[in-house]
Amino acid sequence: MSGKHLPKEIAAAGQICRRCRAAEAFLVVRTEPLCRDCFIKYVHTKVIKRMESFRVRFSAVDQSRKLLLPVSFGVSSLTLLHVLDQHLSKQKERTGRTGFELQLLFVDTSSVERASPEPQLVSLLKGQFPDHSCTSVFLSSIFEDESTDSEADFREYLPAVAQADAQPPSAEQRLEHLMKSLPSATARSDVMSVLRTRLIAKIAEEKGCEGILWGDCTTRLAEKTLAETAKGRGFSLPWQVIDGDSPYGIAFNYPLRDLLKKELTAYADMANPPFSSLIHRSPGSGQLSVSSKHTTIDDLMKQYFESVEENYPSIVANVVRTTSKLQAPPSQRTDQFCRLCNMPVTNGKFGIHGWGGDQQDSTDALPELSGNGLCYGCARSLPQVTAL
Amino acid sequence: MPPSLCALCKTSRAFILRPKDHQKLCKPCFISVFETEIHHTITSNNLFHRGERIAIGASGGKDSTVLASVLKTLNERYNYGVELILLSIDEGIKGYRDDSLETVKRNAKQYDMPLMIVGYDELYGWTMDQVVEQVGKKGNCTYCGVFRRQALDRGAAKLGVKHVVTGHNADDVAETVLMNLLRGDLPRLSRTTSIVTSTPSAVSSPDSPSHTNIKRSKPLKYAYEKEIVLYAYHKSLDYFSTECIYSPEAFRGSARALIKNLERVRPSAILDIVRSGEDMARLVPGGNEACSNGCSGQTALPEEEEGGCGSSNGRSAGGEMASMEHQLAQNDIATEVGLEIEITSSSLNGQQSGKKKDPDAVQLVNGKKGRRLKGPAQTPRKTARQTMGQCKRCGYLSSQEICKACVLLEGLNKNRPKNNIEVSSYAPEQEHGHMNNATNAMQKLQLGVD
Repeated sequence: MSGKHLPKEIAAAGQICRRCRAAEAFLVVRTEPLCRDCFIKYVHTKVIKRMESFRVRFSAVDQSRKLLLPVSFGVSSLTLLHVLDQHLSKQKERTGRTGFELQLLFVDTSSVERASPEPQLVSLLKGQFPDHSCTSVFLSSIFEDESTDSEADFREYLPAVAQADAQPPSAEQRLEHLMKSLPSATARSDVMSVLRTRLIAKIAEEKGCEGILWGDCTTRLAEKTLAETAKGRGFSLPWQVIDGDSPYGIAFNYPLRDLLKKELTAYADMANPPFSSLIHRSPGSGQLSVSSKHTTIDDLMKQYFESVEENYPSIVANVVRTTSKLQAPPSQRTDQFCRLCNMPVTNGKFGIHGWGGDQQDSTDALPELSGNGLCYGCARSLPQVTAL
Repeated sequence: MPPSLCALCKTSRAFILRPKDHQKLCKPCFISVFETEIHHTITSNNLFHRGERIAIGASGGKDSTVLASVLKTLNERYNYGVELILLSIDEGIKGYRDDSLETVKRNAKQYDMPLMIVGYDELYGWTMDQVVEQVGKKGNCTYCGVFRRQALDRGAAKLGVKHVVTGHNADDVAETVLMNLLRGDLPRLSRTTSIVTSTPSAVSSPDSPSHTNIKRSKPLKYAYEKEIVLYAYHKSLDYFSTECIYSPEAFRGSARALIKNLERVRPSAILDIVRSGEDMARLVPGGNEACSNGCSGQTALPEEEEGGCGSSNGRSAGGEMASMEHQLAQNDIATEVGLEIEITSSSLNGQQSGKKKDPDAVQLVNGKKGRRLKGPAQTPRKTARQTMGQCKRCGYLSSQEICKACVLLEGLNKNRPKNNIEVSSYAPEQEHGHMNNATNAMQKLQLGVD
């Protein structure tokens, strides 16, 4: 039993694969020594099992179902793409058609993020996965399109850009200005991921996709559960961790939910054809910044669960299993939504005021604040907006 | 650089960087803002009513000492019209509790409040020292935690008080939220986030139907631990700061360390976790009807819900995580291999209405291994609910037939030499002097009140 706490390769040494009982085990997966082939099969099975509703037999011959797969060039989203790409080829081989069609999307955050993936990775990606259409968009494009109402009124509450000339600020300027106005590294990473999700959902809709396939693995979902809780976004967890309809009107799916981060890393190392050249490894990832000024809540949780996963992988899985039991309140026509993250805010309780933990009114007699239509979590990250 | 001025009065020099929001304050403004916030918590939640007698669960530690001091101040300043009594539990731990009880006795004089001390020995026939002698240091916190919860209620009943306030602070609540997420215990997560909990322990004795409902509340629920320490320091409060000698191995839990780090990164994080916890309580299926509208309602809280020690140590020792990991891994193997057959709740139902275990997620209650009944992974499941009944032995609120305290006592008593039972003061004089269990102690207490 103690074997599972050792590094995998050592623990597997000299053992026979428990599944095929022929090849030599290469690594130990949740107490089971497996050979390379059986491990690859294990990863594929875990993913395909979550994709059962997209089998060939459920798709009409004349129309294909489109799913959006956002690629961040991290190990997880690339693994998901790799597995599904092979899955689709097999479907095609067997039946002459596929159960669904993948649309790849990369969101370029280079204008506001230092360690973002290099743009040439996108052309490499297209080269390696030519069967799927691939789009790259700038994060700032969330500010470009003026079409929808909700979009317009969320922008109106963002800090105004000082205008030197009569020209309205460009989308890039608006994004840059917004990011600069945020009070902390945590707020920047929080708002960036909110904008990213929002943009991805919008593009998925524009492209006629019926769902989004997120690359979050078990470990990432557990991280997200605790990080969102710590950011005051506990109320939105059902839509961030559970498969199903999202408040964006499009289904969210997490096909990697049954795989641990270390399993994906092992897969990326041995996958065939290899894709490790596509992986973007941000400098210093996995290490916390010495100064708490640059550390984010997401960083902390990432580091925390990497260590928990090492010795207690089942506890990580149990966190996700538990969180997945939370029930979103039934959606109602009277629901009000956060202007930034678009999550439903119960009873219109916007902003950080007006609950038990808010004791401001006793000291400062603040006027009634509604948080300017921002939910608790967004209001925490954008204090200057709520103070307008 | 000129010295910065207090952000509130704008006249005195700021000496204190407020842990909660990094506001720079002078000492009098900090004291006043801290007190005003507690007052706000009390009034906005309608915690007290005029004429109420309230017992303060006092351990002599910083939280309960600050609570006693602030409540006395506020009661006088805002004329709540409540009567405050200190209630201490003597677990019987030499070198720890005897010293901290001396602190409480001094507090009683300083604050001019009556003090009552209830001992584990008189309630259960066992001091913690004796328990440790028998069960060893490992796992003894379970006994202490289970015994304490009942002890506070029984002490309150003895005083004829229906409301006990405890010193749980925001850090404690935030820790409980994260801890229960890590342990996979949604029902408990939802219960422990409410500011008011009640123990409707329908004491079965027909003569004294009055001690049936002891309300618990946490006026410091939104107060940061660091601010409590600052308050105690600046008010020169007399408190006892040694940790329990039996819990040194229970190192600061995983969740506690995480919360300290989060607080460093974003000071509001503790409050934000509390808020998330309150919001999530509403999302727990079948969990918390009382919480469906704003979470200020009451929640029944059975047995040892709020953690072993007052300082919330001892909840997540490494051994606990390791044994839970082992259990979960075993379950996964069993599922994979198909060793376990599905037992649905309907087939189990029968008389066992109070079945507690959540089928999918393993819960770990103070070191006790949870058991998991695993069904097909796809089946949507309802989180099991606890149905409250009474312990058949002592009448205390329990989801099981026999409450946890009585179960633990039975185990202890089984191994104790017979004559020891004779020695304990009250067992022989009881009419039904059978076992030395919590029932006897309960009846004894009721007699004492009358």
